Amino acid sequence: MPSWFSNVFSKSRSAPAAQRISRAQLAAVMTEEDNPEPEALDAPPQRRVVDAPVIAPDAPSSGPADEIRIKAQPLHANACVFLVDRPVFAGRSIVCTGPQNAADAPLAQRLFALDERVIEVVIHNLTVKVRTHPRVQTDWDTFAPRIGAAIREHLKTGGPVASPEFEAAIPSEEALRAEIEDILESVVNPGIAGHAGRIRLDGVEGNTVYLEMLGGCQGCAASQITLKQGVERLLRDAMPQLGAVLDVTDHAAGNNPYYRELPA
Amino acid sequence: MPRLDAFDITIRTGARGRSRPPHFVINGYPLEFDTHTGSTEPGDVFEAHGDPGSFPHSLLLAGPEEGSWDIEGVTITYYPDGEESYTVELGACTLDDDADLNINHPRPAPVFDV
Repeated sequence: MPSWFSNVFSKSRSAPAAQRISRAQLAAVMTEEDNPEPEALDAPPQRRVVDAPVIAPDAPSSGPADEIRIKAQPLHANACVFLVDRPVFAGRSIVCTGPQNAADAPLAQRLFALDERVIEVVIHNLTVKVRTHPRVQTDWDTFAPRIGAAIREHLKTGGPVASPEFEAAIPSEEALRAEIEDILESVVNPGIAGHAGRIRLDGVEGNTVYLEMLGGCQGCAASQITLKQGVERLLRDAMPQLGAVLDVTDHAAGNNPYYRELPA
Repeated sequence: MPRLDAFDITIRTGARGRSRPPHFVINGYPLEFDTHTGSTEPGDVFEAHGDPGSFPHSLLLAGPEEGSWDIEGVTITYYPDGEESYTVELGACTLDDDADLNINHPRPAPVFDV
């Protein structure tokens, strides 16, 4: 056995009794001079991150020029965005999380009726986002044309996207803003303060809500679960005519995310 | 995103420019562009090449040190390690002295007519 190894583990490594000092003695000799307070450092200035709009490449479209043109952009195996060349639901949005919630949304009803794999439809301005069941791999090459055809047919016939009752019941932007800020400050933020997180209302356009996640929420692996299953559900319960709830956070710039990986 | 070997950036400045050439910030670390031509004066075009050679969790174009900078558009061509290069086009925005522009964009998802 090498000598350094035996030294590390041998009892002789302890200091002789005469040289030992008690904790009280140690505390007495530890003056402020020995342990000066660390100098306070100025916090780095907070900078905003601006997201400029990404301009989609202007791919040539096929079909007659007077036809309603729709492009499909699969996001992953269970979500696809359909970009229409004209407003589908101008300035507003509607979220239907299943056929049972689509009574006020005739276009969403049509898409749910198309295939039972469709579990969520979000209509916002020029776009229709369709989510399919996560347990089924969707082949968008074959399924997207069916959805595109259904959207085109609905728009051609002039069918409404939302019922007149739904549209009439949408609160003003000011009323939505006040209600959302009240819920954020009184319910949401106290709840996530334990994770050093905070959620701020970035803006309201029509009935579409833009939220920013800060502190421990920014970059947190569980942030989308918090947003979708916690905050959005809470807001939608209070305001049934609420449209899409969109996250504008730059999560890549988060300094101190609470979860770096999803908790087991 | 895989390791980003390099990127080319073209910035078209609008009504309000900046006098000093911009730099970029990768994962919070500021770096100068390796080469650049043109300027960021009003109406000018600035072209630059950056060699981060790293995995960008965050990639920013630094805003002006003072005042505001109107950007009409930005074109970025990324050269990821071991993959085909791709280009992303950004629209107009304004950067103030407390703001940076996010230029960390993944390869655009394929789009097709339906």
